[in-house]
Amino acid sequence: MGSTTAKEIVISVCAGTGGVAAGGFNVIEAFKAELDKNGLSANYQPRVHKVGCRGFCAKDVLVDVQVDGKTETYQFVTPEKVAPIVSEHIVGGKPVKKWLVKKDYHIFHDKQQKLVLANCGQIDPESIEEYIAAGGYRAASKALGMGPDEIIEIIKASGLRGRGGGGFPTGIKWESCRRASGVVKYVLCNADEGDPGAFMDRSIIEGNPHAVIEGMIIGAHAIGSVEGFVYIRAEYPLAVERLRRALEQAREKHFLGKKIFGTEMDFDIKIVLGAGAFVCGESTALMTSIEDKAGEPRPKYVHTTDRGLWGKPSNLNNVETWANVPMIIEKGAKWYAGIGSERSKGTKIFSLVGKINNTGLVEVPMGIPLRDVIFKIGGGIPKKKQFKAVQTGGPSGGCIPASLLDMPLDYEHLSEAGSMMGSGGMIVMDEDTCMVDVSKYFLQFCVDEGCGQCTPCREGVFQMVRLLNEITEGKGTEKHIGLLEELAATIKDTSLCALGTSAPNPVISTLRYFRDEYEAHIFDKHCPAGVCKALTHFYIDADKCTGCTLCARNCPAGAITGEKKEPHVIDQDKCIVCRICYENCKFGAVQKG
Amino acid sequence: MPTMINLTINGEKIAAPEGTSVLQAARQAGIFIPTLCDYEALEPEGTCRLCIVELSGSIRPCIRVSCIQEVKEGLVVETETERIIKNRRLILELLLGRSPYCRELLDLAGKCGVMTSRFLTGEDDDCIRCGRCVRVCRDKIGAYALCWVNRGYNRKVATDFERLSEYCIGCGSCAQVCPTGAIKMEDRGNQRRIYTWGQVVARFELEKCEKCGRYFAPRKYIDWMRRKAFKPKGIELIDLICPECLRKTERPAPAKVPFGNGAFPAW
Repeated sequence: MGSTTAKEIVISVCAGTGGVAAGGFNVIEAFKAELDKNGLSANYQPRVHKVGCRGFCAKDVLVDVQVDGKTETYQFVTPEKVAPIVSEHIVGGKPVKKWLVKKDYHIFHDKQQKLVLANCGQIDPESIEEYIAAGGYRAASKALGMGPDEIIEIIKASGLRGRGGGGFPTGIKWESCRRASGVVKYVLCNADEGDPGAFMDRSIIEGNPHAVIEGMIIGAHAIGSVEGFVYIRAEYPLAVERLRRALEQAREKHFLGKKIFGTEMDFDIKIVLGAGAFVCGESTALMTSIEDKAGEPRPKYVHTTDRGLWGKPSNLNNVETWANVPMIIEKGAKWYAGIGSERSKGTKIFSLVGKINNTGLVEVPMGIPLRDVIFKIGGGIPKKKQFKAVQTGGPSGGCIPASLLDMPLDYEHLSEAGSMMGSGGMIVMDEDTCMVDVSKYFLQFCVDEGCGQCTPCREGVFQMVRLLNEITEGKGTEKHIGLLEELAATIKDTSLCALGTSAPNPVISTLRYFRDEYEAHIFDKHCPAGVCKALTHFYIDADKCTGCTLCARNCPAGAITGEKKEPHVIDQDKCIVCRICYENCKFGAVQKG
Repeated sequence: MPTMINLTINGEKIAAPEGTSVLQAARQAGIFIPTLCDYEALEPEGTCRLCIVELSGSIRPCIRVSCIQEVKEGLVVETETERIIKNRRLILELLLGRSPYCRELLDLAGKCGVMTSRFLTGEDDDCIRCGRCVRVCRDKIGAYALCWVNRGYNRKVATDFERLSEYCIGCGSCAQVCPTGAIKMEDRGNQRRIYTWGQVVARFELEKCEKCGRYFAPRKYIDWMRRKAFKPKGIELIDLICPECLRKTERPAPAKVPFGNGAFPAW
């Protein structure tokens, strides 16, 4: 039994996709059962609730245990750890030190500035009451009392730019959609997040779906729309479920539907599920997909703000952009414009993945040096390896080399460096990454995901992959780089949609910064990173080998032979270049050549 | 009279009616711009990317396809700049990479100064994925017998499940609009066959013309067109007359016009 003083117990369990995959729901059940067992449920009415992703997915399941206003965070919680936490921490009053988050959790959070994600990890995404208690829907109700032009002026003055890739000023987009002739107008939300390694939009919808809805209500009022659509990929079942629930709750509260917030305005939002085509994230393809046609881009030289969905003026913004809107209305344009760099305002969410210690979701003010994100928040590269490059902007972006680590992260600097903001994916690569192989991967992605309508993208990118394949197989000649550059230029100039025009970017940027690697592949027939199988071989340094037999035991091809405590030898004919011996050798005896 | 728009193409001052494309305006002025996917009767789709031009003047300088870009007051169009020629040649090379023996494509490539392709894939496919056949079948005939399958590099034209199509009415429009002859139509005796890539897609029995006795069209097609053209009730054509004989026939004016003085609403 607990002590007799009044206790307020709040347990917040991370239940984003990362948390659920790590067993978040089981942890919630375990907490409920354990609190019942200890008799706490009857006496103190503890609150065990699920919250959205707080970003540090590498440490899931993360649990906040709040007793009388004092919060402690546990990492890697499993149902087995629940009983000790309840008995020692909640009942006994002493946190279980060994399971608490360590220093890296605080370093991860200290440099961040959470605005859009502020509520993720704090409130229950499935409860509109908690969102309202956290100040939600105040901005929408305030905005509905303002004139549309006034709202657009605020958004323009805030300097908010599209978070989906292009970085087009949101206020100007809204204004041109408002001025477009026509009675029927649509507001659209692009939640078709398809970049490899990106999960910002998913986390926002999973952690705080009402912010997106609120942003869209404000946008609809500013533009003069009565109908909105959220185009979300079906591969995000949890996000779809939470968004659907949030829409129902908003309708119950009359925040959506007829005469919302007691005003004369009607507005409702529908969910449209995407069937998993990357190209449907492109604005015109997204619209054709909503129109029930095959999701293929339309080559129209008219802005979608003039003629978009069903030929009507349509305003499409990304999830993160919409989620930024309520706080701009709430706190004012001046406050927002005070955050970030000169021409890029506010914060940006990045998903930090790849060869990095702290994998997760980070929100930083624009203009923060890239080095801070990777080495401070991200905690650097695992296994003390060298940082090589970071790929931003998904398959359409480029690779940024170590020499540009001090570059501020904003739209201008990223595009200057030959990459782009994109939706905010950030794939970190270490010295063991082959840049030719990486660009081949991204181009292959575009070949698989392109719609195939236009010749340069359909045939050209395929040919680029073929050339890159030849280079990695050791069949490259001096002509290959020239051909790659020629193809890249034409594809960029002539493709039909943004997917095509940006598809060669990975090759262009790696040729710019890592040309020597291409040349090593072609002229020296050598892959410096030891990734391309045809150009790599491993050998054992007899001086360093202690004969521990570890490599021989792990070799799947049986290519390593040698007596115990004698130097081993790799049979090059049998070796399949799988790298297992190289990764496993404790003495650095396996070397690549 | 439609409003005339003034623009410059290759230094030549041209006036074109509002709403026409740059490609049409250039054609009217006798300026050649190569294209494969454009067809007069169809909505432009801008997918072959051969008709690219450089634009400047009243809009921000850019490269766009001329089949979709509408004429605009003060537009300056260049169809043969170094950059355009380079891009166009590379696109032709890319197309030739998959269709190296396609005569029509080789002719066009020759006109643009492309002799060989550096991108041979080993494929021999006359289809260049311009989509004219799909568009005519879908937008003009309304039969929806042909469609796109797969995406990206594997995109191709096919019937549903790549089987003999039950929607095909044997009109042959696809063969008619195909720029490379990848779809062929053959009338032999009272049989019509439509081939795509050497495979028979559809086989039809032709109806005889009541006047000249020539086999001229499949029953399915005649019925389809009548349903489309003679929607108003009470009007039915019973004669089976081929287009040539129809042209020669003098028809008396209808004694009673069914709906007022104007044409039928469906016309």
